[in-house]
Amino acid sequence: MKAVFTGAFVILLLLSAMAWSILPKPVEAGKTQIIWASDDNPARRGQIDGFNKIATDAHVSLDPNNTGLQKVVVQSLAGVGPDVFDSGDGTLNVLIDADLAWDVTDELKKRGVDIEKDSWKAIQTYCVREGRVYGIPSNAAANALFINKTIFDQQGIPYPNGPWKWSEFLPIAQKMTIRDDKGRATQFGLLIDWWLWPQFVIQWGGRIYSEDGTKCVIDSPEAIAGIQFLHDLIYKYKVMPSPVEEAAMATQGGWGSGTITQFGEGQKAAMAMGGRWWLCTLRNKKQFPDLKMTVCEAPYFNRRVFYGYGRATFINKASPRREDALKFLLYMAGPNYNALINKQADALAPIIKYCYKPEVLFDPEFPEEDKNQVWLDAMRYAEPTPTSPFVNYQAAQRILTRQLDLVKNDQKLVPDALRDAAREVNAEIQKTIARNPSLKAKYDAILAKRPVATL
Amino acid sequence: MSVTPTAMRPPVAADAPRTVAKRSSRSDWRRLWQAAPFVLPNLLGFLVFTAGPVLFSFAIAFTNWDLQRSVPFRWSGWENFSVLMADKDFWLYFANTVYFLLGMPVAIAGSLALALLLSQKLKGVVIYRTLFYLPSFTSGVALMILWKALYNPDFGPVNAVINSVSDFLHLGVKAPQWLLSTANLVGLDVEKVAFTGKQFGLGARDAIIIMGVWTAIGGSNMLLYLAALTNVPQELTEAAELDGATNWQVFRNVTWPQLAPTTFFIVVMSFIGGLQGGFEQARVMTNGGPAGTTTTLSYYIYNKAFEEFQIGYASAVSWVLFSIIFAVTVLNWKFGNKETTY
Amino acid sequence: MSKPVKTILAYVLLTALALTMLLPFLWMVLASFKSLAEVEKLNPFPTIWHPENYLSVFQQVPFARYYFNSVFVASWVTFLTCLTSAMAAFAFARLRWPGRDKVFQLYLATMMIPGVVTMIPNYTLMVKLQLLDSYAGLIIPAAFSAFGTFLMRQFMLTVPSALDEAAEMDGASPWQIFWDVILPMARPGLITLAIFTFMGNYGSFFWPLILIKSEHLRTLPIGMLFFDTVYGRQTNLIMAASVMNIIPLIVIFVVSQKFLVQGIQMGAVKG
Repeated sequence: MKAVFTGAFVILLLLSAMAWSILPKPVEAGKTQIIWASDDNPARRGQIDGFNKIATDAHVSLDPNNTGLQKVVVQSLAGVGPDVFDSGDGTLNVLIDADLAWDVTDELKKRGVDIEKDSWKAIQTYCVREGRVYGIPSNAAANALFINKTIFDQQGIPYPNGPWKWSEFLPIAQKMTIRDDKGRATQFGLLIDWWLWPQFVIQWGGRIYSEDGTKCVIDSPEAIAGIQFLHDLIYKYKVMPSPVEEAAMATQGGWGSGTITQFGEGQKAAMAMGGRWWLCTLRNKKQFPDLKMTVCEAPYFNRRVFYGYGRATFINKASPRREDALKFLLYMAGPNYNALINKQADALAPIIKYCYKPEVLFDPEFPEEDKNQVWLDAMRYAEPTPTSPFVNYQAAQRILTRQLDLVKNDQKLVPDALRDAAREVNAEIQKTIARNPSLKAKYDAILAKRPVATL
Repeated sequence: MSVTPTAMRPPVAADAPRTVAKRSSRSDWRRLWQAAPFVLPNLLGFLVFTAGPVLFSFAIAFTNWDLQRSVPFRWSGWENFSVLMADKDFWLYFANTVYFLLGMPVAIAGSLALALLLSQKLKGVVIYRTLFYLPSFTSGVALMILWKALYNPDFGPVNAVINSVSDFLHLGVKAPQWLLSTANLVGLDVEKVAFTGKQFGLGARDAIIIMGVWTAIGGSNMLLYLAALTNVPQELTEAAELDGATNWQVFRNVTWPQLAPTTFFIVVMSFIGGLQGGFEQARVMTNGGPAGTTTTLSYYIYNKAFEEFQIGYASAVSWVLFSIIFAVTVLNWKFGNKETTY
Repeated sequence: MSKPVKTILAYVLLTALALTMLLPFLWMVLASFKSLAEVEKLNPFPTIWHPENYLSVFQQVPFARYYFNSVFVASWVTFLTCLTSAMAAFAFARLRWPGRDKVFQLYLATMMIPGVVTMIPNYTLMVKLQLLDSYAGLIIPAAFSAFGTFLMRQFMLTVPSALDEAAEMDGASPWQIFWDVILPMARPGLITLAIFTFMGNYGSFFWPLILIKSEHLRTLPIGMLFFDTVYGRQTNLIMAASVMNIIPLIVIFVVSQKFLVQGIQMGAVKG
């Protein structure tokens, strides 16, 4: 037995020597290493290379992070967070409150970057609060309709053109939905990722939170009507797959962004609502050899607005390499990065002026994408997801998602679900301010200012 | 039946330490000195990486510690626990966690049955054992991705089998929607801990339970039973067989008592594992959905701590979970003591 | 029931169960050779076999590196766990010392504590010890197992006391009894623990995810996770990666089968 353990130990020592010898050497001497926590994908790699090629004294490497803020928060708590990190929807309050994001308002201003003026409005809630800038948007997205040309051609229907209304959309979508004699759909008119539901709330004139954020108003008649329409697309007009039908279409094991593949592969859907970033996947001719597509503006109800979203990039306040990290942020505000984002179709570039360029409107490398103006228009009419500073985004999201899941599965009436959602989110707001005295002071101040009549 | 009571006694070995103690006349210190080099490497590591952190997190449970620094830190006493009692989500997810335990008895009985089958003197046992063990050595993430695909309601192989069997026998059975469904075997409601009768059927929770049984049945528990079965003295079973005992009698009176320490161990570990489980499944397969029905307490703790940053509250939840686990284990221990000697 | 009937029945049962265990894997292997579009079809065999799926995995991610890291880390953890657990278990099962049962109860109690409880304190500890983003940070905290100690103790309890009493009479020291008497007798347990530990660490997911920042230190599950998120929903490639993921485990299990059988032969406690 002793021999077995000794032998194992010797082998492990040898393995360790090997492990040590194949550790990569530091990339380039004399450069400050900056760690960027973001999701790892081919587009991101290109964006990093773009910086490393031109930066003389800093080198960015990626810390792949796809688990939301969790890793960044825990690492920062331990004092070793990344220097630069990305964050998504609704997290700004947390970033500021947890003291994670460096307030770069003055630094950027000194260098002539004005995020509030230069970048898309819809994405600014991700990184600007009360006039202070904490980061810069890394890309910006708003949805349009992808059109499968082959299906339209087969049925002899001209490709639609926006702006148009849902009422104009419905008859076309119904014609495009084909079912076999068993009632099983072989082709759908429309695919929508369910998480885009806020678009229907805002198009019908509703809001998730009241303007001052003190109250969840997802149970307003407008919001109910919007979500009802989304529900009806599945269960009344039947132009969209139910969760069951959707799972049936999904590539085995695919989930989340499976909608892209569902649209791209075969002839399963005539139209799909998605962002320009879908192109990162759909451009792959090897994966989608038969796909012929174009785009058109998404339909609207009574307000021509679209749900805007994206990512923003922040500097870790505790990073000892803040100054070098700032160079990376400036790169993201500059022409090279913005041109690259537009070229990669990683949604749209964050800085508006770099989007209105001839090579963005028509890229000869991708002649099929001949209607890029649609993306610019969608972005121009985009509105951000309203969040409330008085409730944790994730906590509220869990409540809303549960109720909307029930709606999606047709297990609960829309008004009931949204009323319960509003009630629960409002209870969560009360819980949150009870925990947090400074928030409560702010909340009370707003209520005091508000005229009694509107209550 | 002529199996003598002495032959049915638990393994002699369990009495060993006591025998040593009787003869021992060494001083406490000497014995401590002797044991120290054996215990210390493990004990030190254990104190630093397990016991210490546990104490630290216990302290946190009585604070309002929030990673958002605008919440001023304070000792909040039992506040977290009283909030928790009124937290609807906590009770819903607790019910989910308990529901997931339904697979446990099936899995343990199955493991024992497999081990008994494998311990027969048959050819090719090695191959069968390897096959049964296959599910539990695949990495969790890979396995869950695989099952997600298998459960696909329309094109998944699971429903394909159900549908073809149903068609063949003209049963007219509608195949379940598995991971997309909030239905469950006992009719647990979605929004409150109650049985409203609207939710009967097979749903996401059952899908995860079935996957769990499939994974566990030929896994560690079967190996433990196999190892324990080799330690059942053959003279005993052979003697009993010679005396004309039936298979069942041999099992019940000879084998089963000999397996008692192992069974005890497996039951204790299954409860511990089951009550704190469900995180990876929720994370990889369902995101805790649909409508929160696959969110277990451990996934809730993770959400509270790392998504909502309420470290204090999350610690409180985890300590409540621990208390439940502890209570169950103490009960097991009391019950187990009757049949085994520790 | 006559003997042959029983044997046949046993085989039928075993085969049916084995098939149940095997079919999902079969599906996985076949899916790994299909084109993406064909994965969702119900035909069991690919119409055109795509062995190049496996090559694509290596082209898209440094899969070999993940392999090495997983095996390396899991091996170290297994070695350390077996050693420290066996030693501690010996002290708990075969030696008598004041406070023994109290300490053991402490071990037992912490085993029930949900892992998420200790995560933040442990993470902070790793930072203080400067073990973040290193092999040591993956290995050391996992090397002292309460579970392993419990398991080994159970096994050592089943070794007849006559053995070490006799050795003690002959004047053997506790170390000699440990190495030469108890440990060989507890070999099935040791092998079981080794397999458990190796598997557990090879598939470990949450700790590496937060501890490791550099790509070259990623283990397989983390690599798989990123592979999955980065390269979209390429189920066929994911399945190919999964197949490669489990191959080392199968090899290790098949190799250790020999020892397990040995353990069965000699473990029947004749003495």
